[in-house]
Amino acid sequence: MRATGAGGPNPLVKFASQLWGSIFRHGLPSTDKVAARTALTNFFLHIHPVRVKKSAIRVSYTLCLGGLSFFLFILLTISGLFLMFYYIPSVDQAYQNIKDLQFVETFGLVTRNLHRWAAHGMVITVWLHMARVFYQGSYKPPREFNWAIGSILLVVTLLLSFSGYLLPWDQLAVWAITVGTNMAKYAPIAGPYTRYVMLGGRTVGQGALIRFYVLHVVALPLIGFILMVIHFWRVRKDGFTGGL
Amino acid sequence: MGLNPYDTPRGRLHRLADISRRQFLLFMGILAALAASLFGGIKTLGFLFPNANLEEPLAFTVDVEPDAITVGNPLQITEKRVSIIRDDSGYYAVYLVCTHLGCTPNYVTNVTNGTGVADDVAKERGARQAAEQIPNGWACPCHGSRYYIDSTNFYGPAPRPMDWVDVQYSPSGKLAVDRGKLVVQRGAGVTTKPEWRLDPKTKKDNGKTLP
Repeated sequence: MRATGAGGPNPLVKFASQLWGSIFRHGLPSTDKVAARTALTNFFLHIHPVRVKKSAIRVSYTLCLGGLSFFLFILLTISGLFLMFYYIPSVDQAYQNIKDLQFVETFGLVTRNLHRWAAHGMVITVWLHMARVFYQGSYKPPREFNWAIGSILLVVTLLLSFSGYLLPWDQLAVWAITVGTNMAKYAPIAGPYTRYVMLGGRTVGQGALIRFYVLHVVALPLIGFILMVIHFWRVRKDGFTGGL
Repeated sequence: MGLNPYDTPRGRLHRLADISRRQFLLFMGILAALAASLFGGIKTLGFLFPNANLEEPLAFTVDVEPDAITVGNPLQITEKRVSIIRDDSGYYAVYLVCTHLGCTPNYVTNVTNGTGVADDVAKERGARQAAEQIPNGWACPCHGSRYYIDSTNFYGPAPRPMDWVDVQYSPSGKLAVDRGKLVVQRGAGVTTKPEWRLDPKTKKDNGKTLP
């Protein structure tokens, strides 16, 4: 059955325009009103405020440190996903997998290095972001709650960094985690239990590797992601002042 | 204005208790649910504490013949984290777990090197006369703690001496070490030279455990 109707628009064109219109609800933001509606109805744009003072988005005020941290988080998620194709969290294979990534697999070296340097970078940018917020007093009301969320995000970042440290399963990794978990053991009362539950045993072995792996690739990123969503939402809701 | 007969400390208590049967049952029900959740929650945490794992047994038999371990040449079993030392009185085994943060200290023949401690002090820790001893001991690669050959700490962040573990003759005549059984455990600041030894003549230990 031919679907071309005389007089009406070509159904194919109609379908295409319907499809386009269902995704992009508004045309180019020619007026303030259209721009506002675009920002409100688009998932990717809704994170932005509909209107913002030019002074509030001055890069020299925030140095975009939070944005950089989030960018690195995305970079880490993607590069980490690729690393997972080759990495097996087993004491017999983990080190060899890392070696293969470095010397054998196509783009393995760049993927691993991206992950490694982005991880170092994220720890740095998160700290600097916190320092920026602190020195500019951006933690003060009404933003106290976001400061608290941010503090937890800092801890999540550090735990991600710590748990990723063990995964290459080389001498540095094993002894660094031995030292790190022994530090946890010094805590009063809960110390020895904390170490046992972290390692899943008494020594850094297979039990510890799988625990750190699960924490590193699932638990901590998930907690971090949920907190980040709340963090960004609150940034939006608490408003921008910027460079008063 | 009439006096409120209930407005006394005792009256206030009465008023608090003056709830309907339904309210009372609801309150007790919520309390029971909370208690059950708390108990269940704590018990559920037990899942994270493994009851069985694939860690190797703490006891093992040494492949090397006991007589191959001579005075001044301790046997290092790095993978098992044990060193077996022989002196004039017999054998003893040191569990090579640094008391600072748990790394494995390396055996060195010049343990005082660079610490400012005289060689003689280290030599006196051996069982023979100081003149015949070498200043051997252990140095931790992680944060630089040093131990004399009797496992007493003397340098770096280590808070106390390393522990000694049980070593016995196995029926086959080889040495059997049990890392689960500490025969010498000294606290911070204790520098006493332990006297526990496995005697190669009687094939028994002298039972002089510490503490």
